[in-house]
Amino acid sequence: MTNKVAIIASNGGLFDAYKVFNIATAAAATEKEVAIFFTFEGLNLIHKEGMHHLQVPVGGEGFIEGFSKANVPTIPELVDMAVELGVTFIACQMTMDVMGITADQLLDGISVGGAVTFLEFAKDAAPSLSF
Amino acid sequence: MAVDEKLDVSGLACPMPIIKTKKAIAAMKIGETLEIIATDAGSKADLPAWAQSTGHHYVGLIEEGAVLKHYMRKCDVTMTNEMHFKSTITNEELLKISPKPNIIDVRESIEYDFGHIKGAVSMPLGELALKLASFDQEQTYYLICRSGTRSDLACKLMVDHGFKHIVNVLPGMQSITTDLEKNI
Repeated sequence: MTNKVAIIASNGGLFDAYKVFNIATAAAATEKEVAIFFTFEGLNLIHKEGMHHLQVPVGGEGFIEGFSKANVPTIPELVDMAVELGVTFIACQMTMDVMGITADQLLDGISVGGAVTFLEFAKDAAPSLSF
Repeated sequence: MAVDEKLDVSGLACPMPIIKTKKAIAAMKIGETLEIIATDAGSKADLPAWAQSTGHHYVGLIEEGAVLKHYMRKCDVTMTNEMHFKSTITNEELLKISPKPNIIDVRESIEYDFGHIKGAVSMPLGELALKLASFDQEQTYYLICRSGTRSDLACKLMVDHGFKHIVNVLPGMQSITTDLEKNI
């Protein structure tokens, strides 16, 4: 049985971030080896500035209060936990080039790679998830 | 409930109860039990699933209104479950013996409290060596734990101390779910 969970994060909103980092931290806490491939708008989730100002989707404003009521950690807190639990972050080089993002704008210590870097990790992962 | 460590995750939502449980278990010794106090209703499904996935033992849950008290025992997840003691009996054979046999349950007392065979004596493996004098070397004793591993060690210990009729019960309490007596 494989012990890997592979996640693609390709959207950059607040709800997207929760889906990605909740699953990632829960998997890592369950002794899984976890890698997240951040591509297109997903890069926003590991952007030093952007991750603090993630947008709520139109119509979802009403849920904001629910987050604090349910005592849900903030995204930067979940990112710290993911890093501490050993989750691997891979930023998509191609998207960075297209969007004019440099590695120093992203979280420190993450790896930058192409699609094959992720595919190599994901080839025997179960589940593979895309958000 | 006698536990080794306590963890309070009241008020916290998923995935925090799992993350904090992982950290707490990591800092504990094998065989120790952790009490996790939670209010997240999702923890009722998540903590047993976490145990299933990691190889630790979800002992049980006590609900006190909205407060959920979970009990988790740290297992040696690298253990291969190898058993050496030759004299064994199956659960089914044990339960058919008449008159009622002498059963020694060598699990932790908290596991015993969550469900044991009626009439079984609780004697956690860690205390057995100190309390051998309370048993009779000429009698037959059937030793049981969750999976047969701890009772395997306990059988060897008793035989090494001169007990003549010791039997390990396999596969153990993990497969007995009916007619259990509880102390909770």
